[in-house]
Amino acid sequence: MSNYFATVGVEVHVELKTNTKIFSNSLNGYGEMANSLTNVVDLGYPGTLPTLNEEVINLAIKAATILNCKIRKKMHFDRKNYFYPDNSKNYQITQARTPIGYDGYVEIEVNGEKKKIFIEEMHIEEDTCKSAHRGSKTLLDFNRAGVPLIEIVTKPCMTSGEEAKLYLEKLKELLFYGNISDCKIEEGSMRADANVSLRSSLDDPFGTKVEIKNIGSISNVKLAIEKEIERQSKLLDNNESFKEQTRRFDDKLNDTILMRVKETGNDYRYFPEPDIPYVILKDEMISSAISDLAMLPDERRNIYTSRGINIVNANKLIANRSLSDYLNNFIDTDMDFKEASNILLGDISAYLNREDKEIIDTKLTNDKFYDLVKKVSDNTLTSKNLKDILVKVLEEDKTIDEIIAECGISNITDSSMLEEIVQKVISDNPDSVNDYKAGKDRALKYLMGQIMKETKGGANPKLVNDILKRELNK
Amino acid sequence: MKYLSLKIEEINKLLKEKKITPVDLVEEAFENIDSNKELNAYITLNKEEALRKARELEDREVDNILFGLPIALKDNIITKGLRTTCASHILDNFIPIYDATVVEKLKAKNMIIIGKANMDEFAMGSSSRTSYFGAPKNPWNKEKISGGSSGGPATTVAARDVLFALGSDTGGSVRQPSSYTGIVGMKPTYGRVSRYGLVAFASSLDQIGTMTKNVYENALLLNAIVGKDEKDLTSANKEEEDFTRLIGKDIKGMKIAVPNFFMSDIVNNEIRDKVKEVIKVLENNGATVEFVDIKYIDNTVTLYQIIAMGEASSNLARFDGIRYGLSKENPKDIDDVYYKTRAEGFGEEVKRRIMVGSYLLSGENAKIYYNKALSIRDDMRKEFINVFKDYDLIIGPTTTTTAYNLDDPMDDPKKSFMDDVLVIPVNMAGLPGLNIPIGFDSNNMPIGMQIIGNAFEEAEIYHLASFIEKELNLKLDPKGGENNE
Repeated sequence: MSNYFATVGVEVHVELKTNTKIFSNSLNGYGEMANSLTNVVDLGYPGTLPTLNEEVINLAIKAATILNCKIRKKMHFDRKNYFYPDNSKNYQITQARTPIGYDGYVEIEVNGEKKKIFIEEMHIEEDTCKSAHRGSKTLLDFNRAGVPLIEIVTKPCMTSGEEAKLYLEKLKELLFYGNISDCKIEEGSMRADANVSLRSSLDDPFGTKVEIKNIGSISNVKLAIEKEIERQSKLLDNNESFKEQTRRFDDKLNDTILMRVKETGNDYRYFPEPDIPYVILKDEMISSAISDLAMLPDERRNIYTSRGINIVNANKLIANRSLSDYLNNFIDTDMDFKEASNILLGDISAYLNREDKEIIDTKLTNDKFYDLVKKVSDNTLTSKNLKDILVKVLEEDKTIDEIIAECGISNITDSSMLEEIVQKVISDNPDSVNDYKAGKDRALKYLMGQIMKETKGGANPKLVNDILKRELNK
Repeated sequence: MKYLSLKIEEINKLLKEKKITPVDLVEEAFENIDSNKELNAYITLNKEEALRKARELEDREVDNILFGLPIALKDNIITKGLRTTCASHILDNFIPIYDATVVEKLKAKNMIIIGKANMDEFAMGSSSRTSYFGAPKNPWNKEKISGGSSGGPATTVAARDVLFALGSDTGGSVRQPSSYTGIVGMKPTYGRVSRYGLVAFASSLDQIGTMTKNVYENALLLNAIVGKDEKDLTSANKEEEDFTRLIGKDIKGMKIAVPNFFMSDIVNNEIRDKVKEVIKVLENNGATVEFVDIKYIDNTVTLYQIIAMGEASSNLARFDGIRYGLSKENPKDIDDVYYKTRAEGFGEEVKRRIMVGSYLLSGENAKIYYNKALSIRDDMRKEFINVFKDYDLIIGPTTTTTAYNLDDPMDDPKKSFMDDVLVIPVNMAGLPGLNIPIGFDSNNMPIGMQIIGNAFEEAEIYHLASFIEKELNLKLDPKGGENNE
């Protein structure tokens, strides 16, 4: 597409799913009335001091682990000083010199090839307040001020918008599964900035860096980077030089737009935050944070496919975390995962979608589900049976056996009973029997249909098929 | 009858026997303050609320020795519903919506906040002359400064308006004015008292301190305000202790060090002679006193300037005219809000320190200056700790001179730091230090001695201080009243 090699780096801010804010005991919430989740600390009142929410450290340890980062065991916080009204103290508490995680990577698959996206560092910081501009006035909502963030910075190791998109999708899946963030880009709990530069040869130093800020979705990150590569290529083709700058992506114009040119490096006057002593991470703290880390998507995928679930269904399960978590309850059992995933993704999903429920809101106990899968898998229940009893299974406090008895489906695996029906159908349909013997396959299907009719669909088709053939071939 | 000049135990007894009530004490305090109005010790008086509180306490059981006693607070300690200005125009209409942790603790003891005492603007200065509300005057001589930055609290205690005051000490701001006004002032170990609700000047140095007319009352007040605070991560987790427990014990066998620097010719002769007299008294009573060298102690003013101004430039950034305090109207844009508000709201000294501090943290300077200062400060702290391996306490003069004239020039910005050359090392090392009056110079101005202890050994400091107080038995009421120890 271009005569240039693109270098792409991505910085992601993720809001952590904690109960309270990072440096105060205000609640961490979204969508509440403006300035209702604030206190004197969040508002930077004179004399107030930050506390440190341990939950944040715990989640950051988990995130660092998931991103294969090394963890810094002795770290401190720093003040980043700048004047802006979204920042109540006019400094932001962040980690400039001792980020909690460093030297990590995330593995993605590009065109069937695995590629490691290297993480330079990830650090903890506080979110700013939200400002809304109304004409000449600006309104400030401090509910977001002090919400814990981690910022994850990659090395400049990607080469296209597509790679950046794959990286972000993977990152989102990982952080979501790690219970670190709900990663809702539309609510701002995950925000991405991209750095793009071009050079003519891989032997050249990196070209002039352009930062694209506030991109509203993962697919727009890809678009924005591609548009920016296109824009820079044209400039370079025409021998036009440009300065390091910050742009934003406008999805209506489908292009990046200049926000500001960087004249000199920003001077944030960083220094160690004197109100928060050094944080020492003890080994036990790290191992306990890691120990209750939920199973990550790749491991789930491996388990599912090794137990016979096809990759499409495995990915469907992972995309629906509550179903995946539910299925994981049975990893240590001999459950037929293939059958289980069919039931979960099929009839149960249909029910849950229809009723707008989560699986944990139903009466499906682990024992019941185990029993249900077993009975489907050993043909005690047909797929028609399953459909018939599912609502009872999910809504009533009864065992599968009780439900089967109640619905009168106890006859189906009784082969002697089936044999009677088969013989009756054979004797009632001599023409079809003759057709079958003359080699007409359609006749078999007709006879099968008649038997199913007799059993009101309650018979196991495979069993019926076996008995019918045996009887016909006598 | 002057109840506030009685011994604290007697006041407590009268309260218990219902012979007097807190209302009598509060009214007396306000009469005193009124008669000393020209000293300009206060920025805001809390008259109505103090009387209301006193009346409320009348029917209450007298449950502790501090019950019902009036106390003055330096005006950088946050008080809910009571104006807190930091002696600055930028906060001259600021009424806080929460209480500092120390204020909660005082209220829990049923002490009564009488008012907010004068100080240098944002505690930046050593004579309280940078106050937006004018400087307080020294009760011993109204032509003289009370010192700073806790000049107001020192003035009101020295003038015998009230028994108690809290100050804050970042680079000597409790001990130096205590020395200039002849009172007892303690800066506890960094972390001993919660800083939550103390408007920050230099976070790694600030500490709230106790200011009283005698040692015993000082220890009692410290008892009431210490302790780990969940709201201040730099507060220390220490077992409860009674700081009065060693008061009155003899000092036989006590090992005391005097840094050579403290007795060098930077200190005026009259002061050095007084300290030498005290050393003799101590030796005659069985203590060993030896001279020692402490590395870096002569460089602390430079280190202090870097650390304090660097931190101050960031701490004072929040005063921007947006959420509270002064805000200039009709700005052109957001930057104009900052420029106008801060240009008008801050005084010259504060602006100077913010600018120097910003420069010191700017770009590579943070590494060259701030980080280096922190590391030398660490080395200096170790030097002090080494001294405490061989000695129980360190003593020396608190100041190089006695209080100077209010109209002395203020054109040398370094002078105010030099006033604190002997008290700053204690903040840099995070140690406890106390001023005890030891006499007067030829102009009848008080001379103070500083006692420095190892970290969290405030009780040992009170031990020696109480001994010196008893031995010297000085007349410390500027109006010539009797001692009541």
